[in-house]
Amino acid sequence: MGGGNREGRAMVEKKRTWSLERKRRTFCYLALLPILSIFLIIRVIPIIRTFALSVTDASLISLKSNYIGLDNFKNLLSDDLFLLALKNTTLFAFATVALSVSMGLLLSLLMYRKSTLSPLYETIYFFPVITPMVPVAIIWKWIYDPSYGLMNYILFWFGIKPIGWLVYPDIALWAIVILSVWKVVGYNMMIFLVGLRNIPSMYYEAARIDGAMGFGLFRYITFPLLKPILLFIIVVTTINSYNVFTQVYVMTTGLQGAPGNTVRVLVYDIWENAFRYSRMGYASAEAVILFLIILLLTLAQFKIVKSEA
Amino acid sequence: MKQVIKVVLVVGFILSLTILPLSAGGKTEKSQATQQITLTLWGGWPEIQPVYEKVAADYNKQNPNITIKVLTHPLREFEQKLSATIPADQASDIIEASPYPVQKFISAGLIPPAPQRVVDYMTKPGRFPEALVKANKGPDGKYYGLNYFQGRHVIFWNKDMFKEAGLPGAPTTMDEMISYAQKLAKRDAQGNLVRSGLSLRLSGGGSGVGEKFWMYLYPFGGSIIEEMPNGKWKAGYDNEAGYNTLKMYIDMVWKYKTDDHKIKHDAEAFQLRQTAMFARESWVIGDTRKKAPDLNYDTAPMPKGVRWGDLATGVNLYVSRSCKNPDAAWDFILFLNTDENLRYLLDTTGWLPQRMDADLKASLDKEPRYKAFLFSHPDYKIYTYPTLPEYDEILTKFAERMVKAFLDSSLVDNPAGIRKVLSDAAAETNSILKRAGKLAE
Repeated sequence: MGGGNREGRAMVEKKRTWSLERKRRTFCYLALLPILSIFLIIRVIPIIRTFALSVTDASLISLKSNYIGLDNFKNLLSDDLFLLALKNTTLFAFATVALSVSMGLLLSLLMYRKSTLSPLYETIYFFPVITPMVPVAIIWKWIYDPSYGLMNYILFWFGIKPIGWLVYPDIALWAIVILSVWKVVGYNMMIFLVGLRNIPSMYYEAARIDGAMGFGLFRYITFPLLKPILLFIIVVTTINSYNVFTQVYVMTTGLQGAPGNTVRVLVYDIWENAFRYSRMGYASAEAVILFLIILLLTLAQFKIVKSEA
Repeated sequence: MKQVIKVVLVVGFILSLTILPLSAGGKTEKSQATQQITLTLWGGWPEIQPVYEKVAADYNKQNPNITIKVLTHPLREFEQKLSATIPADQASDIIEASPYPVQKFISAGLIPPAPQRVVDYMTKPGRFPEALVKANKGPDGKYYGLNYFQGRHVIFWNKDMFKEAGLPGAPTTMDEMISYAQKLAKRDAQGNLVRSGLSLRLSGGGSGVGEKFWMYLYPFGGSIIEEMPNGKWKAGYDNEAGYNTLKMYIDMVWKYKTDDHKIKHDAEAFQLRQTAMFARESWVIGDTRKKAPDLNYDTAPMPKGVRWGDLATGVNLYVSRSCKNPDAAWDFILFLNTDENLRYLLDTTGWLPQRMDADLKASLDKEPRYKAFLFSHPDYKIYTYPTLPEYDEILTKFAERMVKAFLDSSLVDNPAGIRKVLSDAAAETNSILKRAGKLAE
């Protein structure tokens, strides 16, 4: 009898726990529902729609569109402007990632040793991150002005002739890389700093007992333990760099009298085809290619960092 | 008695059914007459906003139930706004735009044609330039929008700089223009150009570089695209005219060094006394009045080549498909075109009205430099944008190629290189026309 009662009580308890668990889960799903719905509407559905549009000749101003298979993708391969944009964006992304990650790491190592001025330096380096891109780009456009810009003024002290920073495509790309690295390096530094401060000191103590010093500590303790942070920073910076638009638009294209499309990048090309020439199908095909490039690069980065870990 | 009451009730009921709608109808008519109407107007030339606001206030005094709200944006952003809002029926009631970027919306049936009373007003002989009225026709032969102001081009020249260089006055021919530019250019001790002889449009977003190239291509005898007798089109610059025009740009930048990418350009350079001459629209007069009131300059018609003429870019006012009160909207557009309001437009902004029969004497007496914009001669042709929806893409892509070519110093004394640039650009122009089914094969 007693055993039967215990079993019965256990059954009731189990049912109650299950019911409570179900209620909790239901609550969680219900609580997540609004944000999931928003994510579905503003992210997932547009991505699916972009894929669908990329195989049509859809126009922004016409409701009718025809299925044209892979014609948009084939045409893109012979489109000089698209190929130039792809080349420029890739160069920009690799340069920005390499410079901002290495400089961010270097700065974080310098900041790691706490001093009374550390918070001030951290604020100074982080300041560009919180400043909106449009005013930043306008200020840098003035800095790069060939006639009155600060950059040429400084170069003049060293006897260097004025440089058309945003005039010549080869120079303009690097001028925008400099701005972009300056803008993002503070963010990378802060994330690295968080990673560095989370490495338990006992590892360093043990390594020192084993005779490790200076670069050895960095090579065998700091760097391996920072790899997850490094992966995060590389992935985020790569994605942001491939999506570069604002600084290029403001500094080289946006206004009358601006230097023009000296630096054509992918997002600008997509925007121009979609909203200037109304070629939504063609622009969607470009967006699909951009999506696939970023996806492949992210997967490759995950694979490389994981295989080394 | 009961029967009588019943009859009275039935008759009363029937009467009420008859009278009620009548009284309601009376109310409707009355409410339409006094109905509060708010119209929105969007424009791409922010300097004209004060004019619209003043004219809207005057219109509101005459029509207290109609209010007009004005919103303007820089041109490039405005064109994007139109692309996103017109197809979605979210655009303003009245839209200010040039006919050529609006063509794609007209072709897609997204802009309604102008009503007959507006067409009658527009097509009255001598009222508007013929080329600009023709440009208002859609592919269906109907007229869209009503002409408002125009961008006509003239040569702005600095009188002090011309005097200093010993030049008698503005150039009258293309050869003179090229030769004068060399005499007017000024360099510092290090050899850096500090003042251009002729400020060319060497860079910039959108189609502007292409448009300015076209202004010099015309006197050389070319065009960006030319219409064939069968109504189809092909690139019109892959020829001697195109070669001479591009050669002129390359020589002026790299050979004669009368202009440089690194110095200021356009109206800004003129107002800062960093260029001796350049070609632009009449708004520069209004702008210079504010920014460089002491500048000693004059204006002159565009120089002659194998032919002579001026590119006129009309700006019209359209009523959108989503406008709920199109009659009121068209009425306001006609009000904007009255003599008094056109004089106010010219005096305030420097933009030249399209109406040729408007009495602008008071404005022209006040500012005689506007007269060059109204220059008329049997040989001086007014030409404008073709009404092709694809023209914006053609001109923008052509402009991008020219920006690149102007940076290429290897094109100096390189006829084959120049011809290759033009031939590659023409292949692109023709491929856009082909995609649209409008290429003259």
